[in-house]
Parts: sequence; structure tokens; C-alpha cells
Amino acid sequence: MASQAAALAVEHVEAGYGGVIALQDVSITARPGTITAVLGANGAGKTTLLATISGLVRARKGRVALDGTDLTRRPPEEIVRAGVAHVPEGQAVITELTVEENLRVGGLWRHGQAGRAAALADAYRRFPVLAAAKNRSAATLSGGERQILVIARALMASPKVLLLDEPSLGLAPRIVAQVMNLIQRLRDESGLTVVLVEQNARSALAIADTGVVLNVGRVVAAEDAAVLAADEALRQHYLGF
Amino acid sequence: MNEFLQFTLGGVSFGMVYAAIALSLVLIWRGTRILNYAQGAMAVLTTYIALTVINHTGSYWAGFVAALAAGLVLGALIERTVIRPVENRPPLNAVVVTIGLLVLIEGVVGIIYGGQYRSFPAAFSVTGLHAGSVPLGISRNDVFVAAAVLVVALALAAMFRFTSAGLRLRAAAFNAYAARLLGVRVGRVLTLGWALAGLIGALAGLLVSPDTFLYPSSMDSIFVLGFTAAVIGGLDSPVGAIVGGLILGVALNYVAGYLGSNLVLIFGLIALVAVLMIRPSGLFSVSHGRQV
Repeated sequence: MASQAAALAVEHVEAGYGGVIALQDVSITARPGTITAVLGANGAGKTTLLATISGLVRARKGRVALDGTDLTRRPPEEIVRAGVAHVPEGQAVITELTVEENLRVGGLWRHGQAGRAAALADAYRRFPVLAAAKNRSAATLSGGERQILVIARALMASPKVLLLDEPSLGLAPRIVAQVMNLIQRLRDESGLTVVLVEQNARSALAIADTGVVLNVGRVVAAEDAAVLAADEALRQHYLGF
Repeated sequence: MNEFLQFTLGGVSFGMVYAAIALSLVLIWRGTRILNYAQGAMAVLTTYIALTVINHTGSYWAGFVAALAAGLVLGALIERTVIRPVENRPPLNAVVVTIGLLVLIEGVVGIIYGGQYRSFPAAFSVTGLHAGSVPLGISRNDVFVAAAVLVVALALAAMFRFTSAGLRLRAAAFNAYAARLLGVRVGRVLTLGWALAGLIGALAGLLVSPDTFLYPSSMDSIFVLGFTAAVIGGLDSPVGAIVGGLILGVALNYVAGYLGSNLVLIFGLIALVAVLMIRPSGLFSVSHGRQV
């Protein structure tokens, strides 16, 4: 196989909060058009990893790069402009705005007036449930609808890489399946590169190409998703299924 | 009955000035969760600038425009230089900084312009209007005061609702965390919020100074009443700021008319304490929707 450029490369990153080190010497690569599942127990550093990629947390050591361009220590609003969209866990819906206004915020910086309208129309075509609710306050949406809204909003900026933090959290199993299905479609139909942080390892590995397991801030395994899912010892030790 | 009508209409004019101050406080509060104690002092400075321009050019409107522009620049400048370092710090830091600014600005104004009371021109005639032979208790200028604040408030509402800058301002105010992750340059947006607040404060200074005279601390009591109006409205709500200003203006004008004008500030403070005791979130505070 020819050497394939990594869309997103995290190299030897160290990060933390105050005196606490949350990530130590973490390296992952997300190849273009693939889903990389980042797994591990609570406190393993999964959320910190995404926050370090998107600039919410400063990397103390190491480097984050998108298609070879260094993003390390740039502020979040510039990293999203470079093509990395971060959908954080919970609280990301701006509940005081309508559904449509939430979507528009996602595309504000990128397009001209016509481009914004096209992106909005595209989002409604892709997510009819949002079109039906567009003039409602985002506070009235259900948990599943909110998850779709924050993903659709991140897509308004046409990112190259989508970082998703626990998209299944608090959702009913049927809705989890729908969200996972949506993530899979984004990869297959749009060629999007996805980094998916999940507690729900079984669902995540079912759609992922690659899996990375974190434990107490370190990478303990990075394999094909199918290999990870078949590794009984690893599953029982770190993934709990 | 005539008296009552006069006091009511006169109160609307005062109330709109309080509303303007309240609106400027709300703009800053929503974006940065900082209460700008220097808002009145900033308005004093911009009104002195207006007076200087009026004296040099002979044109009231040149001074008017100069004051608004100065307010815009002053608001942005203050946010960038002294407020930025205390954003996202414990609230007391910002309290100390804005009170420090209040003292500093009033001191500098005193040094430059002196402490004496100066009269400030009104935009239009201040002779009372009549409906037939019935005096209305307001002048052409009072109508202008109310209309000017209303126009600015409506323009602001339209900007919030229909423009990209307005959407950025709202997104950053409601959820700065999500807004940054969506590429909103929150720092610039906050600067814009302070600039707009500076402009509206400058407008209030221009409108009230013909009534109060102009001196370094001439906006202090107006600031307290504007703050009271903002608290009545809930500090978070621009509509609440306007309504709060109107309620307070009319109520205090009844106090002035029926009980005596030296009681106005005392009743304003009583109103402030009463609202804080009975309904500290204000009458119009924004609900935050479902959290889960």
C-alpha cells in the first residue's frame, strides 16, 4: 500500500489541567474517509484528547496536524476554520436560539450569503427532522434531535475532520443506532474523516475502521476495529463488554 | 387628571433615558457577565466631547455624531485594554476595574474641563407642548428623546435578529463555548458588544444633559437609575431594559410631581432594593429552556 496521508495526526501529545496530567505521549492518526473510535473508561482522557485537538485545552508537548498543517496551540475558533469541527458532549445546543439559528451559526464564518443559504438547504435536505423544526426554539428538541442538530451544525462548515464526543450519551438504544448509522453515512457518502469518542464501545467498533483504546491518559491499543472487537482480553479489561 | 397626564408623558421621556443606560448595561452583561459601573462616566466624557465639538463648529448635530462615535470607540478601547484581562476571572476583579474606571474617567474629565456646571444644549425646543389649551407636560425635545432611544433600540433589535453580526453576538452571549467551537471569534464579538454599549451610553448622556447640566459626576444618579431599570428588566433582557426604564421613569415622575423632586433618587434606590429583595432575577429574565 502506498503511504497514505493521515488527515489528522496527533503526535506524542501531553496535556492536562493544572497539576493533573490527563494525556501522556498520545499519538493517533485518522486516515482520510475513515472512522477512528477512541475508547476507554471514564477518566481515560478521551474528552481531553478531543479538546486538545480542537484547541480548548493547550497541548504541553507534542503536535496536532491536519493534512500536514500544524494546528497545535491555535485557538478553537481558528482550528475549526482550518477544517476540524468538534461536537462536544452535552450543552452544545444553544438553547436560546432557534434550530435554524443554531445551524446558521455553524456556517457563519465560511460562506458568502449564497453559500450559506445553500449549506442550510443542504442540511435540511439531509436532515428533514430539522427542517420540520427549524423555527422552533432549540430548547424544545428531544435528546436525539439535539444530537442530530449539533452534528448538522458542525457540517455547515464543511469540515474535513469531525470530532464527536459521546454522541450516544443519554439516548435510547433505537436512537443510538440512528446516530451511529448517520455517522457511517457521513463517512461513506461524503468521505468525512471522523474521530468518535464513545463509552459505548460495542456500537462504536461496529461502524469504526480503526479503534484506539486509552487508559489513564495513555494509548494501550491501536488496531483495526474488527481486531479490537475480537480481542477478548482487551475487551474485558478496558472496554467492559 | 391633566396633572396625571403631564406626569405620565414627562416620565416617558425620563424613562427612555434610563432605558438607554439599562440597554447598554444589558449588552455588556449578556456578553461578559460584567456590570459596567463606568457606563455613566463614559457617557460624561463623550458628552463633554460633544460640547467641545458644538462650541467649535456651532452645530449641535456635529457634536451629537461625534459623541456617538466617541462612545463606540471608547467602549471598544476599554474592553480591549482593561476588561479583557478580567474576563472569565472572579466577578470582583471586574467590579474593581470598572469602579476604578469610573473614578479615573471622572477625575480626568475634571482635570480637562473643570468641575463647574455647564449647560448643554437640547436638540429641539424645550417649551411645553399643548393639545389645544391643555399643557402636555412635555416639549418637542422630550419627544425627540423618547424617539431617539426607541429608534436605537429598534435598530439594535433588528441587528440582533436579522444580521450575521447580531447572530454572532447572541451565540457568543448565550453559549460562548459552543460559539467558539463553531468558529465565532468571541473576543471580537465582545469588543463589538462593548462598542455598541458605549454608543448607547453616549446617546443617554446627550439626551439627559440638557436637564441635568454637565459636570464630571453628572451621570452618577442617572447611572443608578439606569441600573435600577436594568435590574427591573432582569439584566439579561433588552426588552426588559426598555420596559424597566419606562416603568421607573413614569413612577419616579409621579414621585417628583406629587411628592417633590428631591425624593426621586431615594425612591429609585428603594425600587432597586425592593426588586432585588422580591424578584432578584427581574421581571423579564430570559428562561433557559430545558437543560437535558
